[in-house]
Amino acid sequence: MEDVVTHEEDWKVCFAELGPGLVLFARQFVRSIADAEDIVQDAFVRFWRKQHSVTDRGLLYATVRSVALDLLRRDARRARREATASADMDQTTEPQFDFDDGSQRALAAAIDRLPVEQREVLVMKIWNELTFAEIASALTISQNTAASRYRYALAALKKNFVVHE
Amino acid sequence: MNDFSELEGELKKLRPRPVSPDLSARIEVGLAQTEAAGRGTATAGVLPKQRKFRLNWFALGLGLAAAATFLVLARVNVDRPSKSAGLALLTPAPITPAAKAVDSFVPAAMTQVVYDRKDEGLHFAEGQDEPMRRVRSRKRETVQWHNPQTGATLRVSYPKEEVTLSPVVGQ
Repeated sequence: MEDVVTHEEDWKVCFAELGPGLVLFARQFVRSIADAEDIVQDAFVRFWRKQHSVTDRGLLYATVRSVALDLLRRDARRARREATASADMDQTTEPQFDFDDGSQRALAAAIDRLPVEQREVLVMKIWNELTFAEIASALTISQNTAASRYRYALAALKKNFVVHE
Repeated sequence: MNDFSELEGELKKLRPRPVSPDLSARIEVGLAQTEAAGRGTATAGVLPKQRKFRLNWFALGLGLAAAATFLVLARVNVDRPSKSAGLALLTPAPITPAAKAVDSFVPAAMTQVVYDRKDEGLHFAEGQDEPMRRVRSRKRETVQWHNPQTGATLRVSYPKEEVTLSPVVGQ
């Protein structure tokens, strides 16, 4: 019984630490927080059920990404809608961040305009503090590619952000 | 170090939206359902994996089938008389009268069906002064034997003809 309690505390502590970053990562594939949370719920349960080590963060994020892509593939209409939303980035998209001022709002909008390949690397690096090795593992790309996408993302943001400043 | 350090600092100031409170509860339900389905305790690598006994139904079925086959074959071998006489069989075990009696057929029933009876009139048998009435009967007789040990039944049916001579009482 004590073990069960301990295990429950384990996953709660783990999720409290990683949850917001995971939802933010999932949010890169869908346009609503609710969908992102559904993805994280499914992925986290799958990950925990298989008793993977939580130190393998690359695998955890890969699981979230896999569930997100499965969701998009399952519903073609949904995929089209998400693709359209990604391309157009209309104003109905739910914000991913809490803003303190207009500057942050502009920065968040600039992030939304990045290609998804760059956004997912940026999110994993900045808000989840994954190493390039872990990012490469999650996305099944090389570390160099992960680092390149990160630099491209920063370069694009800097350009757009300066314009909005 | 690089041109992006200031930008990275600005990015880190952005706070992701908090997770809705019910997400944790939903995950808890999902993990509880997993445990209820017997797929293992909900724990990641934080704790060492617990070795749980899992019943392999396929292996169990295979084992039971093998055991049943063995029993059937063993039964067949017991019932089948041995063709090769080994050294141990050179001296047959004495058969007790009781055992012999048990492992044999005993009469169980007999039926007689008379399907024809014919009066052939009076006849004088040799050495007799009185006439005798001769009656010929045709029957089918069935005798049944039963082996109490094995439960086997043997039935023999055969035709039978019987001639009866009965004295005629004078009037």
